[in-house]
Amino acid sequence: MPDASDTLLDAPPCASDPTRESPVVESLPKEPAFRHSRLQRLADRWSHLLFLTCGLLVVALIGGILYFLAARGAGAFLPLAGNTDKVLTLKEVFLSADWDPNSGKFGILPFIAGSLSVTGLALLLAAPTGILTGVFIAKLAPGWMKTLMRQVMDLLVGIPSVVYGIFGLMVVLPWVSGKWLSDSPAAGFAVSAAILAVMIVPTIVSLSTDAFESLPLALEEGSQALGSTRWQAIWHVLIPAARPRLLTATVLGLGRAIGEAMAIQMVIGNNPQWIALMRGATDQTPVLRFLFTPAATLTTELVQELPNTAAGSTWNNLLFAMGLLLYLMTMGIILATRRLGRQRNA
Amino acid sequence: MLSPQTPETKPVKLSVRNMDFRYGEKKVLDGLSLDIHAERVTAIIGPSGCGKSTFLKCFNRIHEVSSAVKVSGDMQIDGVDIYRGGIDEVDLRRRVGMVFQKPNPFPKSIYENVAFGPRLFGVKDRATLDGIVEDALRKSALWDEVKDRLKESATGMSGGQQQRLCIARALAVNPEVLLMDEPCSALDPIATAKIEELIGELKENLTIVIVTHNMQQAARVSDYTAFFWLGKLIEMDLTERIFTTPRERMTEDYLTGRFG
Amino acid sequence: MPAAISYRPRRLSRVTDRVMRLALWGLALAFIAVLAVFVGAILKQGWPVLNLGFLTRMPETLDAGGGIKPEIFNSLYLVALSLAISLPIGLGAGIYMAEYAGQGRILRFLRLCIETLAATPSIVLALFGMIVFVQMMGWSFSIRSGAVTLALLNIPVITRVTEVSLLAVPRELKEASYGLGATRLQTILKVALPYAATGILTGLVLTAGRAFGESAILVFTAGTNTSQTFPDFRLTVPGETLSVHLWYVTSDGTLPDAREIAAGTAAVMIVVLLVLNLSVRFLDRFIRRRTR
Repeated sequence: MPDASDTLLDAPPCASDPTRESPVVESLPKEPAFRHSRLQRLADRWSHLLFLTCGLLVVALIGGILYFLAARGAGAFLPLAGNTDKVLTLKEVFLSADWDPNSGKFGILPFIAGSLSVTGLALLLAAPTGILTGVFIAKLAPGWMKTLMRQVMDLLVGIPSVVYGIFGLMVVLPWVSGKWLSDSPAAGFAVSAAILAVMIVPTIVSLSTDAFESLPLALEEGSQALGSTRWQAIWHVLIPAARPRLLTATVLGLGRAIGEAMAIQMVIGNNPQWIALMRGATDQTPVLRFLFTPAATLTTELVQELPNTAAGSTWNNLLFAMGLLLYLMTMGIILATRRLGRQRNA
Repeated sequence: MLSPQTPETKPVKLSVRNMDFRYGEKKVLDGLSLDIHAERVTAIIGPSGCGKSTFLKCFNRIHEVSSAVKVSGDMQIDGVDIYRGGIDEVDLRRRVGMVFQKPNPFPKSIYENVAFGPRLFGVKDRATLDGIVEDALRKSALWDEVKDRLKESATGMSGGQQQRLCIARALAVNPEVLLMDEPCSALDPIATAKIEELIGELKENLTIVIVTHNMQQAARVSDYTAFFWLGKLIEMDLTERIFTTPRERMTEDYLTGRFG
Repeated sequence: MPAAISYRPRRLSRVTDRVMRLALWGLALAFIAVLAVFVGAILKQGWPVLNLGFLTRMPETLDAGGGIKPEIFNSLYLVALSLAISLPIGLGAGIYMAEYAGQGRILRFLRLCIETLAATPSIVLALFGMIVFVQMMGWSFSIRSGAVTLALLNIPVITRVTEVSLLAVPRELKEASYGLGATRLQTILKVALPYAATGILTGLVLTAGRAFGESAILVFTAGTNTSQTFPDFRLTVPGETLSVHLWYVTSDGTLPDAREIAAGTAAVMIVVLLVLNLSVRFLDRFIRRRTR
């Protein structure tokens, strides 16, 4: 077997022969100049767990919210300990539009319908304008205008909901009622939805700007090279190409809208019997009645009645069940955007 | 430079036997066996994608930081398996320093860049740190250029200076081996010449392994050259012999530019 | 052979193009106008009320002429406390996601959870805080109930911004640090976090702004009353903030000058948020200049 030290002259010093033993080296045990202290090593090992705990806390939090809301909400439907008040069936709550807690009628359909109406109207306003503004910022606006629009959207998203509410209460409501309704009150879906639309439009604008900016330039160039105008390229090529992401943007806007409470509570009029009132008012066109009848939603009812109901009462428990419903709806929305995202990647 | 006429007197520092490297299902390195001598410069050459950078990174296990990989076979430093259980990869990386393809100084001052390593190991004394920094900068032939602006940001230096700063930073923790992964690929010819000169000086008391795609550079700086192809070691020998009388046909083809 | 069709630009499409481009400009300008009208109206309504006395008097419960001194203090105090609670947790979770969680199922699940928490309506967080802190822990309507519940609102934002900022740290820098023998913790604390710090700081200022404007959570956890001593640092007293005050005086309606007080409070909040927004912009510019 060749010796490591005198093989150089003929054999290559580094054989690729796997059977050769690794040469034994008597290395002097060097005192390492730099070593990590015990503490440093322990910190490195245990910090991992610390960070993981923080992550798990978030997971636990979501479980906790679900659990506590469900536990309190269940009191409205089950004869739990300490629950002396009336017990309701799911049917008379979720399938009834009859809301009159003082005579034991707890149908929450008016609130669900109210939430859906106001968010639907808000989306109707915010989605097209938001998407078109997104296209404008991404494709048409000169640099200074892009910056300006971003700042405008940053400010709009930063304004607190109570300030939106006070603006609606002090500026929009009087203006609308004086201008169009011959001074009858303007509370209802129209003004709430308009304000809600301004609140969620920054979300839709920023996500759709991203969507348009991430499209390959080749798409637009390809279209314009065929002689299409700028607008034709936007309408026939860019918007269809960005559609999945625009849909995600809209759904996220929906998520923000459905959970908003304070701003709407201040302008919507808070009338749980809005369906009856709307039917009764025959002096106006149906559209106007729909838009300007004081109404209520899931969130506004929570804000309105939570401080006024006794803990443990059916009414109070039901409010927590409504909160749970709201939470499940937003979770569904998040899962829907996930699904949309996956389709996009596929 | 080592020639075939003078016998090797330095001990083997790094020794590799039957080493495989898998990245997921893919085998990137296949059955490598070679020895690297202390205080010599060993160059690893080969076409892109032949696994030479990967091989280099196995010596300080830095690939483990970012991805799940599997190394089998034997890799030893001073006769100790570096993949054996109980080996502290953090200490290993202190002993086996690394210089990367692109200069990667921290966005801190020149001084803080060099002092970063010693500080990691709890060196706090200002005078000691000053000494370490000056020593490292002198060894990397940077001291005269930067001694008056140690407090300035390292990102304002030229590319070549940045790379020498990275060498100084590696030297400051007193490594036994220095791995260099195409250290000149982002540099101009003058900066490259400086680094090559530096390599010649550094090998006085350091084992250097350098990956390069530049065959002339391998010929200029190294004592040994290993030729990799598709994850296999084709041939390793004294640089002089590899470049004059390679034993393998493939090596010759590569060196004469017939493929690769 | 048929004659080649000649394609000439259609007049209609050119007109449409011009009209639509003008319309888009109009739309964008309309949003700017909405913001201008909004801020202008709030400031105009609040301006007559805004004076030193308004800012430094205690609020009244039945008579006109109340101030908002304790509400200003409570707002700042609650924002600071909630950030102090949420910052370590958010940082920790963000670090875990960026540096430890890898790429697999765990990361995807954590991301989903963060997203869900971020999308949770604040009224739902309010219900949770009311059940757990106000009732079960027996903390009643107090600064501590408010701060902890408000922290739940901040955590997902801070987590996200930490994760994103850490992922933006160049891989080469981390490798360089590991190459010198740094442990993972050292690399995170000494290389990655300092590099990401400016991004995280910007996110923190935005989070502070959001917490400052939050009302739904605080109505049901910190309450609609305030301590009669000033400044009151106790955690057990109720702490009505500016935004809650603004909502409460308009919905309660016992104050003869509720309208003026609400307008003045709204103006103060708008000014604070404009200042915060400007500081974010400066911070951002400063960062860009420093990192080039």
